[in-house]
Amino acid sequence: MHILFALKTLYHNLYLKKVPKIRIMADADIKTTVEETNKDYVEDGKNKLNVKCKFCSSKILDKQSANYITQEKQLPLMQQDNNREEGEIQTESVNEFYHVENMYTFENIGFTHSVDNYKYLSCADCDAGPVGYYDMNTKHSYVALSRVVHS
Amino acid sequence: MAKTYDYLFKLLLIGDSGVGKTSILFRFSEDAFNISFISTIGIDFKIRTIDLDGKKVKLQIWDTAGQERFRTITTAYYRGSMGIMLVYDVTNEKSFENIKNWIRNIEENASADVEKMILGNKCDLDAKRMVSKERGEQLAVEYQIKFVETSAKDSLNVESAFYTLARDIKAKMEKKQEASNPPSRSGAHPIKASDMQRKPASWLSRCSIL
Repeated sequence: MHILFALKTLYHNLYLKKVPKIRIMADADIKTTVEETNKDYVEDGKNKLNVKCKFCSSKILDKQSANYITQEKQLPLMQQDNNREEGEIQTESVNEFYHVENMYTFENIGFTHSVDNYKYLSCADCDAGPVGYYDMNTKHSYVALSRVVHS
Repeated sequence: MAKTYDYLFKLLLIGDSGVGKTSILFRFSEDAFNISFISTIGIDFKIRTIDLDGKKVKLQIWDTAGQERFRTITTAYYRGSMGIMLVYDVTNEKSFENIKNWIRNIEENASADVEKMILGNKCDLDAKRMVSKERGEQLAVEYQIKFVETSAKDSLNVESAFYTLARDIKAKMEKKQEASNPPSRSGAHPIKASDMQRKPASWLSRCSIL
């Protein structure tokens, strides 16, 4: 009887709840990641540490100078595949940003020429990028946490 | 939000096409397998923060590449600029001769008291050199502008040239502020023109590490 119940529960868990359960887990994982990032790098809604270039350590933002926000945004990849179709821009989805209202808040940064209503941000020393983007309508800048390091 | 810097200077890079203005601003080299997204689009301007005698100075440096083929830079580009790097290529005679035309263009369009500096770029290409360092110095003396030979490729004298230009702008602004002696430090915005005496180009420089 107990074995039968256990088997039934197992069947239920494995087959009937499998799909939603995994999706819930995935959501929880994302939340955990964001919270962990928060704890390590964000204090009072701002960057706790200096923000630097991943490749050359050039200082991009002084500590506590930008606001942490979450928003989903497609950002072009730093390296575009040579075999991509002509005119195609390879992007990835980025969720966490530092919001910089005044461009002179940056310590060192490059702004590209405009593409549509955006300028992309690059390292002022090694030109790696995009590390984020600048919205020409609002004149606000956004630095992707995944494209920089903290120290 | 409180201002976190003492001064903000807008600087321009000006000169003929191909003299290396973009290389002065942009250092990226492409590798064979991937094309950098940034190098495809190109850099419009950079913001750099430097320390000058204990003051935090923000430099906004603009590349004028792409505009120079019209032989002039529009007034809009000059607006608000406080310092100009005049760049020629030591392997290109014409680019050197055109410095005079660029100076005229600046006089016609830019603020009268804009600080200037002449850069003889590509001084690493000694075998191809067409313009001697002495001729660069003579031109600088003639216009009473500071001069240095640079190599963007080897990062030679580029950074120090920006420091020199920024220091001159800061000195000029501080002098003006003293002249009008306001008790508060207004910082980033220059007070309108008063005719300043230009310093002679005594600043020695050479295309080698001293």
